[in-house]
Amino acid sequence: MDTLVARYSRPAYHQNEVFSEQEQQDLNDTVPSLKFAMPPVAHPSAWLRAATDDRSNPSCPIKIAHGTTTLAFRFQGGIIVATDSRATAGNWIASQTVKKVIEINSDLLGTMAGGAADCQYWLAWLGMQCRLHELRHKRRISVAAASKILANLVYQYKGMGLSMGTMCAGVTKEEGAALYYIDSDGTRLAGDLFCVGSGQTFAYGVLDSEYRWDLTTEEALELGSRSILAATHRDAYSGGFINLYHVKESGWEKHGFTDTNPVFWKTKLDKGEFSNVTSNFTE
Amino acid sequence: MASGYDRALSVFSPDGHVFQVEYAGEAVKRGTCAVGVKGTDVVVLGCEKRSAMKLQDTRITPSKIGLLDTHVCLAFAGLNADARILVDKARLEAQSHRLNLEDPVTIEYITKYVAGVQQRYTQSGGVRPFGISTLVVGFDKGSEQPRLYQTEPSGIYSAWKANAIGRSSKTVREFLERNYKEDMDREATVRLAIKSLLEVVQTGAKNIEIAIMAPGKSVEMLPVEDIESYVKNIEQEKQEEAAKKKTGRTPGTGAAAILTRGTQGESSEQ
Amino acid sequence: MEVLLGITGKDFTLIAASKAAMRGATILKVSDDKTRQLNKHTLMAFSGEAGDTVQFAEYIQANAQLYSMRNETDLSPSALANFVRGELASSLRSRKPYNVNLLLGGVDPITHKPSLYWLDYLASLAPVPYAAHGYAQYYCLSLLDKHHQPDISLERGMELLRLCADELKRRLPIDFKGLIVKVVTKDGIEVKPFDEDAVVRGT
Repeated sequence: MDTLVARYSRPAYHQNEVFSEQEQQDLNDTVPSLKFAMPPVAHPSAWLRAATDDRSNPSCPIKIAHGTTTLAFRFQGGIIVATDSRATAGNWIASQTVKKVIEINSDLLGTMAGGAADCQYWLAWLGMQCRLHELRHKRRISVAAASKILANLVYQYKGMGLSMGTMCAGVTKEEGAALYYIDSDGTRLAGDLFCVGSGQTFAYGVLDSEYRWDLTTEEALELGSRSILAATHRDAYSGGFINLYHVKESGWEKHGFTDTNPVFWKTKLDKGEFSNVTSNFTE
Repeated sequence: MASGYDRALSVFSPDGHVFQVEYAGEAVKRGTCAVGVKGTDVVVLGCEKRSAMKLQDTRITPSKIGLLDTHVCLAFAGLNADARILVDKARLEAQSHRLNLEDPVTIEYITKYVAGVQQRYTQSGGVRPFGISTLVVGFDKGSEQPRLYQTEPSGIYSAWKANAIGRSSKTVREFLERNYKEDMDREATVRLAIKSLLEVVQTGAKNIEIAIMAPGKSVEMLPVEDIESYVKNIEQEKQEEAAKKKTGRTPGTGAAAILTRGTQGESSEQ
Repeated sequence: MEVLLGITGKDFTLIAASKAAMRGATILKVSDDKTRQLNKHTLMAFSGEAGDTVQFAEYIQANAQLYSMRNETDLSPSALANFVRGELASSLRSRKPYNVNLLLGGVDPITHKPSLYWLDYLASLAPVPYAAHGYAQYYCLSLLDKHHQPDISLERGMELLRLCADELKRRLPIDFKGLIVKVVTKDGIEVKPFDEDAVVRGT
């Protein structure tokens, strides 16, 4: 009898549990719990680390595409985003024509540094979340919110082998020009100027020295492009093409995917920079 | 009457009704009245307070108007206890939204959430719908546009310039339809809210509650004394109007009007 | 090399945090704010593992604000400190603990008494008159031991912070890009201007 009573008189909060689960699901809609196939080992994240860390183990079996230079900065006329286009796996140049600027939608850009697959996948996923937000809220997502969705997502996977260093850039009416740095540690920072990737230090050097808020758009585009050039020249893991974008309130605008080689020689010969490189073959 | 179709919640009657939801609407009609009125740069919530028992401590008895977040206010009509649950869920969602998207909720978003919860309780087993309608008001972040929404037990939500829910809401809504004007300032908006409530609240100021929201500010509960002065003012006006109706155009007031106009030309008083 | 400092006085609590956000050998940001306001008169400063810090602080912030909305009253600094300790303690015993060190300062909304709590990632909690986290402890605690008095004025509190900041600039091997300083009084929380351009010469 008691069991009968118990079955039909479940306490009220128990009923609620059913809903809170449902609600939990709803909350998770913005940060969905995607199911991935895991390698059949005891500690997948530790295993992945051991198998992919080519710094501590140069002969590791999986080499993840890594080296990069990406930069973005805010200025009077909006935001400049520039990247190189080289993908390396260990010492091997896997590609010279990678698109490291990801067009999340018509007015949001993301950049890609770290694991190429991780960045591509999660930024495409972010694009989906942004579109859903737009449909649900009947207005464009703020850059702050978009960057936070990504930061919260990567934070969920912290310590499990994600490798990303990315920037989100966009201009909205409410925020103005907004730039965020997000990495796979879960760090998310708003700022005026960021360089990310193995060539970041070289890019910082050029960018910091000539950066001003009141740069004209032409100056800003030139500075972005020159900073990437500097990095491709000194960083073995950066190179290929300079991918250049300008973000304004009306959306982003592409300013070319330019081979670094002619740009380098033009810069050297016209301006006399890069004097360590000689153009004389006869010494 | 409904031959069993009102027993289980998630069962339609043959002619397409979900009776439990409609009964929830009845619970709303028995609840005390609440009104919401939008002005140009302000939005006002007004509530009829149930008259308290002699020994009840009205000072700390919970109000029918509650904050969902610093910039969103909700008033309800219907079952008090149900409202508490719904309000709590909405507050949690508001904070969760802040945490995950950095920005506070928009008024429409939180309304849609409240309506969404109400809808869920019309389509799940083992539960009963919320016996409340709500009015949700406030200002979106960085916006000067006042917002006013209504939700119902069925999960419907809709936007309004002015609306009433609860007991005699039909009377009040009709009153609002007759007297609503575009471009009301704060004074006029509060006055209209109180005046509309007085259509159904006999006991006057001490049984009325008024909350005022303005952009970028937190909610302001109007003190009883202020409500009283509004009520007095409105009643006086009503009496004057009644007197006017009785005698047609009273010569006394007509003369006074001409007199003031005359004095206005000389001394710039008033 | 993150710096967190806290000082209580007669009717205020001062909290200071370094402004540099570092990643490897790069300073990514020079105006980072490592504090979160929990309610009208409680402030929390945090340092530790990247990602964990902000996630944990904002989680606490959201819960503190939810409490305030639900109950139409704010939790006192001591209540919040104990709540935070509890969260850290259960996190410590979870699969992935938060690696966060905290200073929590505030003024009691009723008694107006200032208070400061020192918490570390192992969920230790200690009420203290003045506190520091990280390498700043080694330099500043001796200074504060010597100069701090429980009933100091706000001006004196700022002087003590200046003293600490100067010593850190002199001896810390890495530039922490100055301090952001906030004061909690019974009237709320306010950012205090803190002169950053003063050059401190080493000896």
